[in-house]
Amino acid sequence: MGDLEVRDLTVEFDSGGYRVRPLDHLSLDGDDGQLVVLLGPSGCGKTTLLSCLAGLLRPTAGSVTVRGIDVGGLGGTELGDYRRRTVGVVFQAFNLLASLSARKNVMVPMTLAGIGRREAGERADELLARVALSERASHRPGQLSGGQQQRVAIARALVHDPPLVVADEPTAHLDHIQVEGILVLLRELAAPGRMVVVSTHDDRITHIADRVIELAPQFSDADRADEEVRLAGGTTLFEQGDRGSLVYEVQEGSVEIFRSRSDGTTEVLAAIGPGNYFGEIGPMLNLPRSASARAEVDTVLTAMTIRSFRTRFPLTVADARNTGT
Amino acid sequence: MFGITLSDLLYRRRQFLIATLGAGLVFAMTLLLAGLVAGFGVEIDQTVSGFRADAWVVKAGSSGRISSLAPMAGSTVLRVSRTPGVSGAAPVVVIPQTADVDGALHQVNLVGAPVGSVPARQPLAGGAQVTGPGQAVVDQRLGVGVGGRVSVGGHGFTVVGVTSDRTLLGGVPNMYVTLREAQVAAFEGAGLISAVVVTGMPSTVPTGLTVMSNAQIDRASLQQMATAVSSINNSKLFMWAIAAVIVASLVYVTALERTRDFAVLKALGASSGALYVGLALQAVLVALIAAAFAAVLAQFMVGVFAQPVDVPLSAYIVLPVSAVLVGLLSSLIALRRAVAADPAKAFAG
Repeated sequence: MGDLEVRDLTVEFDSGGYRVRPLDHLSLDGDDGQLVVLLGPSGCGKTTLLSCLAGLLRPTAGSVTVRGIDVGGLGGTELGDYRRRTVGVVFQAFNLLASLSARKNVMVPMTLAGIGRREAGERADELLARVALSERASHRPGQLSGGQQQRVAIARALVHDPPLVVADEPTAHLDHIQVEGILVLLRELAAPGRMVVVSTHDDRITHIADRVIELAPQFSDADRADEEVRLAGGTTLFEQGDRGSLVYEVQEGSVEIFRSRSDGTTEVLAAIGPGNYFGEIGPMLNLPRSASARAEVDTVLTAMTIRSFRTRFPLTVADARNTGT
Repeated sequence: MFGITLSDLLYRRRQFLIATLGAGLVFAMTLLLAGLVAGFGVEIDQTVSGFRADAWVVKAGSSGRISSLAPMAGSTVLRVSRTPGVSGAAPVVVIPQTADVDGALHQVNLVGAPVGSVPARQPLAGGAQVTGPGQAVVDQRLGVGVGGRVSVGGHGFTVVGVTSDRTLLGGVPNMYVTLREAQVAAFEGAGLISAVVVTGMPSTVPTGLTVMSNAQIDRASLQQMATAVSSINNSKLFMWAIAAVIVASLVYVTALERTRDFAVLKALGASSGALYVGLALQAVLVALIAAAFAAVLAQFMVGVFAQPVDVPLSAYIVLPVSAVLVGLLSSLIALRRAVAADPAKAFAG
């Protein structure tokens, strides 16, 4: 059993009246001492996964187990303890309290845990020294650079010496000099006794990672030949939230494009007839399908890769026939 | 949580200062309104006690309101003076009149008493007592000094003395003259009087008369101000509501601005209750500081009012208690923000 086990994790939520499923049956593992990098573009579910690991978001299905603790099964005081003791969180936007000095920001989780002022202060000093910020301890976030704020955020995440540290896009707001410092620090933190899980769309981090998990897998069928797909009337070709690499052109019949709403109803977006295509946005931008496609009658389609699609339809997404899927 | 709350309060000190000033002004107004209400009672008590009577003999069925006692025959004083238990008796006339001071009309309470009698000898802030016709002692609120001229009902008076704190009906100054001149002004010269003030305590009273204590005269006279007191007390309630709205606005805006902070604090292990306590603490602190500011401010604002304002000690004691309640009530508006804060939102970039 690994120190981190994610099994069939699915998260669905409402977004503007539509059901969105950023994580769909995701499974992964991590071990103590590892720097695990979650790689993927915006919208692929990295932050959602970190929220589940941190016990801040309850998944729709599946499980997260950290050192034998079933995070989804926690509630009330136990969940509070888990957030305080087992996991340290480094947020993308630093999320330091603007009214507090760097030292007091680091003390916050200890204050919330009922640790005495003196003890908390000593621990904060120790951690600020570790992230090389002792001389800026009395400065407020507004007086610190982005990199320094991120260091304070990391120090704050370490106050209880948690076995799991999660960091969301820790280099997003930093210049290259600051990025270097933060990456070295994160690499150092991933040592026996602690696992660090970092989400990023910056693949430079992968070079220092022990394990890289791509949340938006790259499809390797760029050279695949076009193929004919026959669908009986009523057959679903793909569903909203699925990932796919193919674009479809209708040769015969008709395909209905529809979106599922949060209230269980569906919204028909378009009916695609012969000579028109659909399903290009998801593969081109490496995003899940934003709508479902179903044959209205017996239908014949041509399935093609993005490369083939760009060759056949040079107007691509600006074309009036696109359906946004 | 206390340290975090205090730090945030200091960080947003301008915001809090503005709200504290606003709430402080409103609290000061509540103190002054309490002072106005108390002032009605105090001025009545000072005027009534100024007669140095042990009891008042008035016409039976009279309301007991000092400025509107039912008139009775002047000979009553003789009957009362012969009553067992009475060691001294003096007739008085007390009646509201309009006074002309250099062409400006002012309301006064005309008080007539025999020259040299106990009720005629009011403590003076300056000048001398009335010694004969054509002389008057007036309260300084009339704004006429010794040597000044005042006309009542066509009769001219020279001010020979000035009193302090001798008013009725919300700051209307008293004007002390001879009994005869008061009867001329009030009763067209008829020998009527308003009451007989006595020293000693009459064991019985002649038929058609009744005995009232100073306290009874006080209470009955204050009753005359009941409508004004009620209006002022209602205004006080509005003032508390305004103060609550000011503090609530501040706390709500603060809660809106701190939505991200709340999410982060929850992500770091803070409970909704702890977040609410922090907000409530801020509201209570603002309200208490505003109350302290109001207590000081009220001292300077007393002089703005034409009426006597006597802020009772109880108002200063009630103020901080009420301020805490205002703070707690105000903070309820932000409760939902604290409870609804989603820790997962801390991840939003």
